[in-house]
Amino acid sequence: MGKLGVLITLLLLALPAWGGESGSLLKDDTLRAEPFSDARSVTKVKKGESVEILASSGGWLQVKAKKGSGWLRLLSVRKGNAGKSSSSGLLAAASGRSGASGKVVATTGIRGLSEEELKAAQFNGAELAKAESYAASRAEAAQFAAAGGVQARAIDELKAVK
Amino acid sequence: MRSLLFTLSLSLLAAPAVAFDFGGALKKAAEIGTAVQGDSSQSPATAANAPAAGTQPAQESTAQTLLSAFDSTSEQEEITIGRQIAGNLLGAAPLVADDNLQRYVNKIGRWVASQSPRPDLAWHFGVIDSPDINAFAAPGGFIFLTAGLYRLLKNEAELAGVLGHEIGHVVRQHHLKILQQSKMVDLGSRLLVKQVSGDGSAAAQKLIGSGAEVVARSLDKGAEFEADRLGVVYAARAGYTPFALPSVLQQIGHAGSDTNSVALLFKTHPHPDDRLLKLGAAMGNRFDSMGGKELAERLPPLPAPAPAATPAAGK
Repeated sequence: MGKLGVLITLLLLALPAWGGESGSLLKDDTLRAEPFSDARSVTKVKKGESVEILASSGGWLQVKAKKGSGWLRLLSVRKGNAGKSSSSGLLAAASGRSGASGKVVATTGIRGLSEEELKAAQFNGAELAKAESYAASRAEAAQFAAAGGVQARAIDELKAVK
Repeated sequence: MRSLLFTLSLSLLAAPAVAFDFGGALKKAAEIGTAVQGDSSQSPATAANAPAAGTQPAQESTAQTLLSAFDSTSEQEEITIGRQIAGNLLGAAPLVADDNLQRYVNKIGRWVASQSPRPDLAWHFGVIDSPDINAFAAPGGFIFLTAGLYRLLKNEAELAGVLGHEIGHVVRQHHLKILQQSKMVDLGSRLLVKQVSGDGSAAAQKLIGSGAEVVARSLDKGAEFEADRLGVVYAARAGYTPFALPSVLQQIGHAGSDTNSVALLFKTHPHPDDRLLKLGAAMGNRFDSMGGKELAERLPPLPAPAPAATPAAGK
């Protein structure tokens, strides 16, 4: 293993950090050693605190916080940090707009779906017929689910929590 | 006044056998689910109900028959309305030209919808050609998401979650109720009953007209939170991870700081942060050990994007 090997190793080691996204806490929560609600508490994290997101598993995110590393509930974390442009490239590309870091770009001249455009929309029967031609029957859908190993299960509806 | 009289005489000429019952649909809509838009203290059901004197016959069996007839026609009518709105929306942004993608989205959507209380509605799904990040539901089961949103999705479970949210709107008839609260009821439901006849499409066109802004109308925040909860449950019932919709919300929240492709979505929905917090509170730890499929490998890529975009974008 020569220089190249070392370089590759270094690169691989660096990957998680490089690929890691930033996030911040939506509320106070507990950082846990493992992705379970009864796992050992590593430390408390405060609303607004920044973390680095390393990985995800089910409803949990593995993060690096100021006072330690561990797992946080996915639903306690917002992604991104104001001012950071980690994903502006991706999103600008996705939207077809070259939004410079955090700056709002006017939509004029770029096709989007603004309220005005929706208001002015004219019925397109041909496109609607096309859309309807793609319909899947219940049986077809169930078959496709089964092919992917996806199985239905009984789950109660969620109640609203104030 | 003259046009009203004209409409009245037209409605008298219309064949009653195939007439849609707007009153019935609107009443039903008012009964299902929670509040929709703004102040819902005034009950549109009353307005819809009043002229429908025929719904109060002396004999109970007759009432039963009539009510069930109303139920079936009102779904038909809901579909007719939704179809018109869907056609209008497609006038603003056509489908992404990719048969495989569209069929795939229909299969996943139909599978998720099969876990809802309206499994046999004629559900339709589609990806529309817009860089915006948004998704729309029209009454009767017409659901579309934009290519911009599709591009953010990492796996089939996330698609299921997004579609589940929109299916929730259709199940609870959130948008139908908006229509009911606005122009239809203003015009007087009884007139519309007779106006919309035959296959209803011509009349629906007259009624709804052009435009699809209703799909982007701000619903009551409670309706959005409700659709989030339903989306999570429907997708989880369908066998997917319950945390896929939350992941998408996270991603959308992230997108919001960088581009205005979410401008309309942000204007018409509570902020993703609030939606995550509300979902977190509702989900608690109930889903912790549930598991579920993600199926990243089954999610078809979008066809090559327009020149401005990077080929690897979003993946």
